[in-house]
Amino acid sequence: MSEILLERVGKFAAEAKAKIVPLRKGETVIEVDQANVRNFISHLVQDLSVRHLTTITGLDLGENIGIMYNFSQERETIHVRTTVPKASTAVSIVDIIPGAILYEMEVHDMFGTSFEGNPWNDRKLLLPDNWPSDLPPPLLKSSKPAEIRRRLNLEAPTKE
Amino acid sequence: MSTDRDKRLREESAGLMEYSAENLVPFGPIHPSLKEPEYFKIILEGERIVNVIPRIGYVHRGLEKAAETRPWVQNMYMFERTCGICSFVHSLCYGQAVEGLTIFQVPKRAEYIRLIICEMERIHSHLLWVGLMGHWTGFETLFMWVWQDREVVLDLVEAISGNRIHKSMNAFCGVRRDMPEGMEKHIVELMKFLTDRARYYRQIIDTEETILERTQKVGAHINQDTVEKLCAVGPMARYVGLRHDVRLNNPYAAYGEVPFEIVTRKEGDVQALLRLRLDEIIVSANMISYAVENLPDGPIKVKIPPVIPAGEHSSCCEAPRGEIFYYVKSTGGRTPDRVKSRQPTLANLPLALEILKGQTLADVPVVLTAIDPCFGCMDRMSFLDTEENKQWSWSGEQLRQYGINYYFPDKKGKGKA
Repeated sequence: MSEILLERVGKFAAEAKAKIVPLRKGETVIEVDQANVRNFISHLVQDLSVRHLTTITGLDLGENIGIMYNFSQERETIHVRTTVPKASTAVSIVDIIPGAILYEMEVHDMFGTSFEGNPWNDRKLLLPDNWPSDLPPPLLKSSKPAEIRRRLNLEAPTKE
Repeated sequence: MSTDRDKRLREESAGLMEYSAENLVPFGPIHPSLKEPEYFKIILEGERIVNVIPRIGYVHRGLEKAAETRPWVQNMYMFERTCGICSFVHSLCYGQAVEGLTIFQVPKRAEYIRLIICEMERIHSHLLWVGLMGHWTGFETLFMWVWQDREVVLDLVEAISGNRIHKSMNAFCGVRRDMPEGMEKHIVELMKFLTDRARYYRQIIDTEETILERTQKVGAHINQDTVEKLCAVGPMARYVGLRHDVRLNNPYAAYGEVPFEIVTRKEGDVQALLRLRLDEIIVSANMISYAVENLPDGPIKVKIPPVIPAGEHSSCCEAPRGEIFYYVKSTGGRTPDRVKSRQPTLANLPLALEILKGQTLADVPVVLTAIDPCFGCMDRMSFLDTEENKQWSWSGEQLRQYGINYYFPDKKGKGKA
C-alpha cells in the first residue's frame, strides 16, 4: 500500500480498532470488528475516496464466516475483513455502496449469512427456489455435493 | 399456458393490482442451448419501466466448490470454462493469483504471448457484441458483416493456440505453446485489415439511421456518480468518462510495456458504447502489432511444483466485459482452500437495471445487450397485463420485432432473422 494511503487509513483504523496486515506490495488486509465495519467502510468511501468495491468474498473459517470486502484503487487492493458467527446476521453496506447489493445476496446464498438492511435480503439470487432450508449453504465446508444432489433429486440417471 | 404458472404470476403481481397502472412482465429465464440465462421481473407503468428485479443462477455450476477438491493446475483449465467467449483471461487471472503465492517469475516472452491472446480475445468479443447489437436493433446486414470479420481473428487464434475458443494456452508461470514461426508479418497485415474494418463500421454507426434511432439517447440519464456508486466495470464505466481499466491502473502481463491509449466517452448512452467498443478494437489491433514486432526471446515457461505455499492472494484482469477478480487461499496443500471468482456481468447488472428504469419495453433487448452479458436468453417470456387480467407469451424474436416496429412502424425491420 502506498505510504500516504496507509497513513491515512491508519488514522481511521486506530479509531475503529482495526488491525492492518500487509500481505505484499499493493495488497493489504484490514481486520475490523463487525460493530465497526460500517463506520470504517464509510470512512474509506467518503474520506479516502476508495470507491470501487470489486466484490464481497465469503470465507468459511470453521466457527465463523469471514466476510471480505475487496476494494481496489489504482494499484492498491484493500481487503476489509470482518467475521460473524455461522448462520447469523451481518450488517449491510448497501446504503453506503449501492453496488454491493448483489454481492451481499451471493454471500447470503452461498454461506447463509443474511445482511440486515439489504432490501432484497429475503430473495434468492443463485440458489434454486426449492433449496431445502435445513441443507447447509453450499460453500460451507460441511456441505457435501453428493448430499445436495440427493436432496435436490439431481442424481445422475444410472445406466441400465 | 399451465394454470399453475397462471396462478403464480397473479400472486406475484397481487400487490401491484392495487396500483392498477403497473404491469408485471416476467422476462426470461432460459433457452437451454444458450449459456447465460437470466430472469428479469419487469414492472411496467404503461410503456415505461418502473422497476426490474433480477434472478440469476440458472447455470450456476458450483465452480468455486468444485475448485476446492481439484488440484491447482486442473482448476486453471476448469476456470477457463467459465465463459465461452473470454475464456483465456479467466485462466490468466486465476493463474496470476496462484503465481503470486509462489517465488517464481513469469518469463518475459510468455507475458507478451499472454497479452497477444488477451487482446485477440477482446477483438473477437467486441466484434461479436457489435454484431449482436445489429441483430437486436434490426440491422441484420451489420450482424453478418461483423461476424464474417470475426472469423479472421478466430482463425488467427486457432493458428496460434490450436483452438478457437477454449485455448488452454495458459500454464502456471508461462504459456503452453510458443508463437508459430514466421507469422509476424501475416498477423500485422490482418490487424491492419481489422483496423480498417473497425473504422468502416465506426462510420456506419455514426450515420446509419436504424442504429442512431435505436441507440442514441437510450439510457442517457446515467451519470458518472451513479456508475461509480454501482461499481460498474469495463466499458460500462468508461462510456461515461471514468478511466477505469485494469490494464492501465494495475498493469499485468506485458501491459506495462506495450503502449496504448485508453478509450473513454462522455455521452453515456448505448451509442457511446458502440463507438467505444469499436475504438477499442483499433487500440487492441495496434497493441497486438506492437507486441508481435517486439516479442522478446527466451523461455516460455518455468516449471513449478504441484504444491502451492500457504497464503492468500488476489488478482484482477481486464476481460472484454470489464474487470474480473480472483481470490485464492492456500493452506499449503495440493488443492486450494478457497477460490473466489467474480465476473464482470455481475458487477454491471445493477447498472443495467438502473439504465432500464424509465426506458420503454422496446428498449429492453438493446439495453440488456448493451452491457454485453453473454446474453441471448430472451426466448421465453410471458406478459401479464394486470389491468385487463390478460396474459400472453412472446418469443425473443417477437420481442425483437416489437422493438423494431415500435421505432420504425412503416418498416418491417431491415432483414429477417
